[in-house]
Amino acid sequence: MTHPAQLQAATYNVADAFEANEFYQEQGWTDGLPIVPPTAERVAACLRTAGLDADDVIGVERVRQRPLTAEKVAINAVMAGCRPDYMPVVVAVLRAMCQERFNMHGSTASTGGSAPFIVVNGPVRGAIGMNATHNVLANGNRANATIGRTVRLVLINLLDCIPGQLDRSTLGHPGKFAFCIAEDEEDSPWLPLAQERGVPAGASAVTVMSVAPPRQIMNEWTHDPEEILDTFAAEMRHNMLTYSVWSGSYFLVIPKQLRELLVAAGWQKSDVREYIFRAARVLRRQWATVGKTNIVNRSGGPDQEFTALRIADDLLVVAAGGPAGGFGSVIPPWLGSKAQAITQPIDSP
Amino acid sequence: MSLQVLDPTAEDVAVATTHAARLTSLQGRTVGLLDNGKIRVRELLDYMEDILRAEYGVARVIRLKKPDASRPASADVIAGMRAADAVISAVGD
Repeated sequence: MTHPAQLQAATYNVADAFEANEFYQEQGWTDGLPIVPPTAERVAACLRTAGLDADDVIGVERVRQRPLTAEKVAINAVMAGCRPDYMPVVVAVLRAMCQERFNMHGSTASTGGSAPFIVVNGPVRGAIGMNATHNVLANGNRANATIGRTVRLVLINLLDCIPGQLDRSTLGHPGKFAFCIAEDEEDSPWLPLAQERGVPAGASAVTVMSVAPPRQIMNEWTHDPEEILDTFAAEMRHNMLTYSVWSGSYFLVIPKQLRELLVAAGWQKSDVREYIFRAARVLRRQWATVGKTNIVNRSGGPDQEFTALRIADDLLVVAAGGPAGGFGSVIPPWLGSKAQAITQPIDSP
Repeated sequence: MSLQVLDPTAEDVAVATTHAARLTSLQGRTVGLLDNGKIRVRELLDYMEDILRAEYGVARVIRLKKPDASRPASADVIAGMRAADAVISAVGD
């Protein structure tokens, strides 16, 4: 049991919640949106629900050796608006982000401007009421929004990822406010992402990666799986030409309308991966079509081929989105394989 | 009626971190120049090395390179920089 008395953070006395918000805004302790005042009682409830002691270290940021203690993470989770039962998910996300292959320092400081994209799998989605359907990449659900927001507040308050200081992003990314979804496991016959990545059925897990902004596609004019996936692959090729050619993991978020056409044709996620691996390729000469003629003759010359994925398994296919509309989303990596997807089981307290 | 709220920042880390002693002069010193892997950083550091030697009397320059701009310096690069009295970690771009 964590009691408020064990908390170590400095305290401040304010008149009320409104004054607390003004104080935190003045200190630069928010993402710009209002915060929920982190009182000892609320912070202790988060720790208790996650089965953590205040001084437990959730992870250590590797470059500057900054520890993320449970107490400080819980304070930021309360500020973001989390309910205590979201805390185990927050903890798993931050553990994933502290893995070396996640490259937290590089991806959060980069001029390129990435956001951590979080996909939640398993029973925890239903237990905390996450959204996997309508408007899935955006607003409307407390758990999706506040778990994602907690990551940003932790980056700001515990790791100094402040725009113009350590965060050097030129343009930023709308997902830096929050970018957290659940997979629609109930309405898809496909294997959930976490299970494909080794988490046992029935367990909950998060998969997190630093990503560029999502690119939306639409194809409502075919039932042919290859044609549907050609549209996704074209968007990936476009990303390779106009943004970054380096190969790594891409997320494909496939909502119900297109997903059902793929399923009806007998396509599993593994078939999608194999097809996209072959289709999402560009030649160096194609850079001439997007204003980058100056690099056509470099390195391997005009016929040099690049693949979006290093291997087919780099593709992370997620079933999510509202039921109507032939849409899909391609979510490219921040910068090739320099930051990789991490799947982290969620501890049951 | 008032509300007691908690500090969300890494207050303990801020206290635990200290700066190295400042140099009063670069005369006769060894300076490390960390190449961050960006385009044109070599030209930038060549220029800085010339200035450090000619105008500041720097005796020796250690030039080491990160794997690329997006990943941290490796442990052997950081160890190699320990021989320097001062290190400049700059962004060439």
